[in-house]
Amino acid sequence: MVSRSEVLSLCRAMLRAGRQYPHYNLREYTKRRTLDGFRMNNTDQSKVNEAYAEAKAQLVVLERSVKFHSLYPPKTKNIMEVKLQ
Amino acid sequence: MAARGALLRYLRVNVNPTIQNPRECALPFSVLLRRFSEEVRGSFLDKSEVTDRVLSVVKNFQKVDPSKVSPKSHFQNDLGLDSLDTVEVVMALEEEFGFEIPDTDADKIHSINLAVDFIASHPQAK
Repeated sequence: MVSRSEVLSLCRAMLRAGRQYPHYNLREYTKRRTLDGFRMNNTDQSKVNEAYAEAKAQLVVLERSVKFHSLYPPKTKNIMEVKLQ
Repeated sequence: MAARGALLRYLRVNVNPTIQNPRECALPFSVLLRRFSEEVRGSFLDKSEVTDRVLSVVKNFQKVDPSKVSPKSHFQNDLGLDSLDTVEVVMALEEEFGFEIPDTDADKIHSINLAVDFIASHPQAK
């Protein structure tokens, strides 16, 4: 049985990994998807362990993906990252 | 009594320091030490500035009603956020102030007050 603090720290680890993408769209997507994913599985208590194991696997995939995407960072700044003047 | 006075006068040390080799004496160690610690101490952020920034981050949060946000708000009790939303808010604060908040401390931040106190007491906050 995974504890609540373990779930929260896994969520935090995924969010932190997603922050390291050089691409704006990947960053935003990872943030949105991890929070939605954790929230969806919040309700069903019997499936918590499965969901936790799945999320752990996804975290490994995420870390690897961050490394790949960092090899080819975008050449121009995304319009969404430009501060409004 | 007189012997004591004579002894003390004999043992009196000169107040003016003898000028040492100027190359070695450019920055005496005590001055260096003080300067370094002043830099570290000076990097603590001002509490009112921290409060303003924290409030603006929380108000920009989509699930929060900006009119309900006050410096004493509790994330779960007053603002109606659940624990995942709290994690998200703490992440946003990490990004705003540019330093990592470890998990054990992040779990304890349940209200805006606690967040402000933690950030104001952390030397790496920018």
